[in-house]
Amino acid sequence: MSKVVVIPCSGIGKVMGLLSRETALEVTNRLAPEITETACLGQLVTGDEDARVKITGRPCITIDGCTANCAIESVTAIGGNIQAKYQVLDEMRKHRGKNAGDGSMLTVEGWQIVDEFAAHIAKRAEELHKEGRTNG
Amino acid sequence: MDEKEVGILACSGEECLGGTISRLATRRVIELLRPNRAVTLCLPLYIAGGEEERAFARDYPVIAVEGCGKHCSTRATEKFSGKVHDTVEVAEILGEGVALAKTVSTRDFTAEHQDMVKIVAREICARLDAIV
Repeated sequence: MSKVVVIPCSGIGKVMGLLSRETALEVTNRLAPEITETACLGQLVTGDEDARVKITGRPCITIDGCTANCAIESVTAIGGNIQAKYQVLDEMRKHRGKNAGDGSMLTVEGWQIVDEFAAHIAKRAEELHKEGRTNG
Repeated sequence: MDEKEVGILACSGEECLGGTISRLATRRVIELLRPNRAVTLCLPLYIAGGEEERAFARDYPVIAVEGCGKHCSTRATEKFSGKVHDTVEVAEILGEGVALAKTVSTRDFTAEHQDMVKIVAREICARLDAIV
């Protein structure tokens, strides 16, 4: 079965955007590179044909940093199949009082958030990948 | 004196190193090098945002910062907002091999990567200074 596509918002203004980006990279580069990959959100926004082909018919996981839900909106706009949606804000509620860093660099506490969040998402990606194999 | 502000829009591409460099170089300009002269926008807000976001290129002269030859920042701006004033291409400055290399987590960023960010940020500043 083809890989699950993990798409972060990569928001540039605040730490939540960097948390979304680094979480996606942790899943796709370290935890589950055999069954996941990422896609450039910018290409989805422009309606790039290569990006459309890349995500068509494949389960997508979005990771958004704020309530604008840029990843969800952009994947939806290009016709992607979103199977799981995650919000950094929800994850940060589990880590109240922690200083995650800023939009350029994460702190040690920020990386702890990424590691926990990514482990959770990698597990979900594995389930989606198995479901896809089962369903043919 | 009224200071003109310039919009800097990074592609922030997730699939190659050029995207990461575009993002960090843009943040360096906004935060450290030209904090009162530059503003930015999350690129996908052209879709997820409202009229205020789609007015970005009408409100500011925009410098697009491109991580690869897809030119997503320029294409998105011209599709949803307006003409781009100038373009900074990571591949032109650092070479295509660097720009298209596998993306790197900031956890694994080296001094060499940081230098790349500084070089691209300087080029953005040069283009910005030519506008203001």
